[in-house]
Amino acid sequence: MFHTLNKKVSIFLILSGIFYLVLSFGLPSYEYVPVDADIVPIGLGIVLIILSIILYFVKDQEKKENDDRISKSELPVILGVIGFIILYIFFLEIIGFIITTVLFLFICSLFLGYKKHFINAIISLSIPILIYLLFDSFLQIQLPTGILPF
Amino acid sequence: MDVFQGLAQGFQVALSFEGLLFVLIGVVVGTVIGMIPGLGPITAIAVMIPITYGMDPAIALLLMAGVYYGAAYGGAASSILLNAPGVSEAVATTFDGYPMAKQGKAGKALAIAAIGSFVGGTISIIFLSFLAPLLSKVAVSFGPPEYFALMLMGLTAIASLSDGSTVKALIAGTIGLMIATIGIDAQTGTPRFTFGNPHLLEGIDFLVIALGLFALAEVTALIKNRKEKMDSMHNVGSLKLSKSDYKELAPTMGRQSVLGFLVGILPGAGGTISSFLGYISEKKFSKNPEEFGKGSMRGVAAPETANNAASTGAFVPLLSLGIPGSGTTAVMLGALIVLGIQPGPLLMTEHPDVFYGVIASMYIGNILLLILNLPLIPYLAKILLVPRQLLISLVIVFCIIGVYAISFSTFDLYLLLAFGIIGYLMRLIQFPAAPLLLAFILGGMMEQAFRQSLTISNGSLSIFATSPIAAVMLAIAFLSFLVPIIKSRKSGKKEQAENNKIA
Repeated sequence: MFHTLNKKVSIFLILSGIFYLVLSFGLPSYEYVPVDADIVPIGLGIVLIILSIILYFVKDQEKKENDDRISKSELPVILGVIGFIILYIFFLEIIGFIITTVLFLFICSLFLGYKKHFINAIISLSIPILIYLLFDSFLQIQLPTGILPF
Repeated sequence: MDVFQGLAQGFQVALSFEGLLFVLIGVVVGTVIGMIPGLGPITAIAVMIPITYGMDPAIALLLMAGVYYGAAYGGAASSILLNAPGVSEAVATTFDGYPMAKQGKAGKALAIAAIGSFVGGTISIIFLSFLAPLLSKVAVSFGPPEYFALMLMGLTAIASLSDGSTVKALIAGTIGLMIATIGIDAQTGTPRFTFGNPHLLEGIDFLVIALGLFALAEVTALIKNRKEKMDSMHNVGSLKLSKSDYKELAPTMGRQSVLGFLVGILPGAGGTISSFLGYISEKKFSKNPEEFGKGSMRGVAAPETANNAASTGAFVPLLSLGIPGSGTTAVMLGALIVLGIQPGPLLMTEHPDVFYGVIASMYIGNILLLILNLPLIPYLAKILLVPRQLLISLVIVFCIIGVYAISFSTFDLYLLLAFGIIGYLMRLIQFPAAPLLLAFILGGMMEQAFRQSLTISNGSLSIFATSPIAAVMLAIAFLSFLVPIIKSRKSGKKEQAENNKIA
């Protein structure tokens, strides 16, 4: 089973290596530059392809159960969190750091199954405000204010 | 400036009120982050980097040293109290630490871990104080070919020594080098692999990769185990050690400090290898090896002393050569560069205050860790009772702020998410992430050294063979690249033969 996975990964990597090589060969070269910008990328592309070919034939010594595998029931949860992160990033500069972070913390924790709404609300409100004050006043780093006037 | 003068100057900064305050903050924050399973020193340092912007570099380093030591100790605490090693360096600590906790001696085990870490760290720092300047002096004579060979040697050593498959580690390293080529080429000004995207012209920031591959990828594991409730040991017990305990542990700590330091200097052989090596060697030294695994004090002291000594030993190549020897020191290198400091042979001559400041901060970090964390541990252990669901959202927010504060670009945040997903996929197919990060950090320097060498020789590769130092290092790199591949082929064949036999 894992052996096949190695082969699949190896083929994907060989194709990536070829793509990278094509891009590398497309880099411009200059007449009076002794060593051009494409030399290292070309070398790396070739090394990746060689290593991937070796990987194709290598058998893993341990074929233990992989603990990192996500079960089918967990997949929607992970995809949901990724969706929340995308929304968080998208609205960060538009609505502002404080509001998006408060919403993200509360909704994400709720989505993951945290049922103590009062504690969730307090933490979701206090942490972003504390971080904002720390960055704004102490570190002089301005986080996006968005629709808030300060 | 000699070592003592330099150290005196370093201590002036470290012992100031501000210095002590930030080490203290670092130690506590580091311990808390280190205790959370999965979040080790790499994440702890990466998350703290944005907080150091605008700080005096020497003070920022004190904070980082505190975080570094704190995280290492926090990992030990969760190993002992919960049998949940936060990082691979702390796995060996669980073998005897958790049985001790079950016997009601958690306090004693924590004290041994703290004292062992202190002894290992301190002895290692003394070696570091004298060895790093010596190495710097040698390295000043290095030219581009020697530098390139050195970095390549370090990189292949890391790949061949890392856990799991060597080929996979080497592939991860190659991909790291490839990612480092994205952006404007420093020598010719040619944009490479930017696909016309202006955000990629400056390349990808290391923090995006470090936080993505390590912290964000870990979130998936946290999500999977979010319903698990952590039962912290409520009865920690006495923290006191008797005179006979000290007598029993002293030789172990002495031996493991030296061994750990030596292992730490080698590129790639960091805390994990040293802690296991420490545990195994101590079991062999012991007159009662059967006690190991059942709550032996020496079984806790050995890995803890060795891994702290190794963590400090890893600073020798970082400070004197500018080459990180492990994933954690790679993040430290990134953090130093963010602060405007380039570690390497010139650091000692150009910025002796920073060079010795780092070393002095380690002494102070170690001492404060011992004084403060011992009584605080039972309280800090409560952090493990924070519900996972809240913790996950907070870790994500900290990652996002960390990246945003460095670039002020949402593009980098999408990249962060992408690297988080890549990090998770890498775990799934068992590709190690540390060689990728390390290669990415070294990539720019390696390419520069390689091309400078070729420019000197007018394009001829013979320059690497004519320098004896470079030639030897390249030969070692080649061997460390080749030997594990042949070995894995052989063991694969052996396994196949055995399988055939069984069938």
